[in-house]
Amino acid sequence: MKAYLVVAIAGVLVTMAMALVRAARGPSVYDRILAVNSFGTVTVLFISVLGFLLGRPDFLDLALLYALLNFVGTIAILKYFKYGNLAAGED
Amino acid sequence: MDAIREALSWLFIVPGALLCVTGGIGLLRLPDFYARMHAAGVTDTLGTALVLVGLMLQPADWTVTVKLAVILFFLYVTSPTAAHALIHAAYTSGHRPEFAKDAPLPREVESR
Amino acid sequence: MIGEQLIGVILLALLALTAITIARLRNLLATAMLSGIFSLLGACWMLFLDAPDVAFTEAAVGAGISTILILATLCVVGADEKQVQESPLALLVVLVAGGVLVYGTLDMPRFGDPNAPAHQSLVTQAYLYSANAPAEHRETQPSRDAHELETFAVGIPNTVTTVLASFRGYDTMGETAVIFTAGLGVVVILGGARHRRFEPSETVDITPSDERPEA
Repeated sequence: MKAYLVVAIAGVLVTMAMALVRAARGPSVYDRILAVNSFGTVTVLFISVLGFLLGRPDFLDLALLYALLNFVGTIAILKYFKYGNLAAGED
Repeated sequence: MDAIREALSWLFIVPGALLCVTGGIGLLRLPDFYARMHAAGVTDTLGTALVLVGLMLQPADWTVTVKLAVILFFLYVTSPTAAHALIHAAYTSGHRPEFAKDAPLPREVESR
Repeated sequence: MIGEQLIGVILLALLALTAITIARLRNLLATAMLSGIFSLLGACWMLFLDAPDVAFTEAAVGAGISTILILATLCVVGADEKQVQESPLALLVVLVAGGVLVYGTLDMPRFGDPNAPAHQSLVTQAYLYSANAPAEHRETQPSRDAHELETFAVGIPNTVTTVLASFRGYDTMGETAVIFTAGLGVVVILGGARHRRFEPSETVDITPSDERPEA
């Protein structure tokens, strides 16, 4: 239980809580999409640091795949808001 | 060697975690969506870079270091793209900043 | 060990907070986003419990696909929630049912108790042997046939992965086929209008009525 990893996990958990509050409060829908995107990035960090904390660096595969999924999910949500349909915009 | 690695880990990981918390505070306290985008950008770039580089210094297999480098590369490529897409979508659908409520529509939307 | 328990406690507290917020919000778009966050927190929780395969499925399905599908539904249905009358009888029924469930869990063995029946059976011993059985483990199993248990050794360092990928491999193959078919179906349904050019007047605005920007 290295001390700097504990500090990192604490910081990441605090950031998660703050992104959660912004997703619940944010007056416009774009605030909420931003909060979910930030939460996804912070989850990637959480998975990486947790892997080292528990002595299982194999969790990094999950962090890698989640970094990509986060991006694809955000773009899909934005495409829905802009066009109302996931297939639009292709020509 | 271990002392140097320990000191460098403290030097990278703790400021990285502090920058993530700073981004979070910005998300909560800033008054407007476009301002909060800046705060989220701090978390997405320097926060993750410092934490991931600090994790690369931990004693582990070389594959772990390569995976961390690939995660960092993907986050660097996709975070600014997602941020740009988000702001573009917000602006072209009429969301205006708090202190510039009568900003004009960009020309490419009007001509569509 | 208090530090590790604290991470779990904080994750569960965040999950509870998210669930309460989802239940209390009236804005359905916000609940769609918050359900994505809920699934991400669930994935972190499962990772903390040392089950990476389940965590990955939860992250991909819950935070990726489910959010998009909920948004697609809101696109068809509209994003304002119908007003419902609050009913004290409903609250009473929920409290009684929840209380009975909690009462039912009081009999369960403590989390991680080595004397629990689930940890003593032969099936569990075989699963534990499958993950890199060390030589010392054989001496603690005098009543089992050491050779018979040794044939289960698979060499994957995670027991959950061994069960999913090796002992129940056909299950996993079937599930992969099911998910692939579902993905194909979604692509065919959603991608069917690929060659149409969408006019701006045809697009649908799914923000709820109190959030639309002033025109």
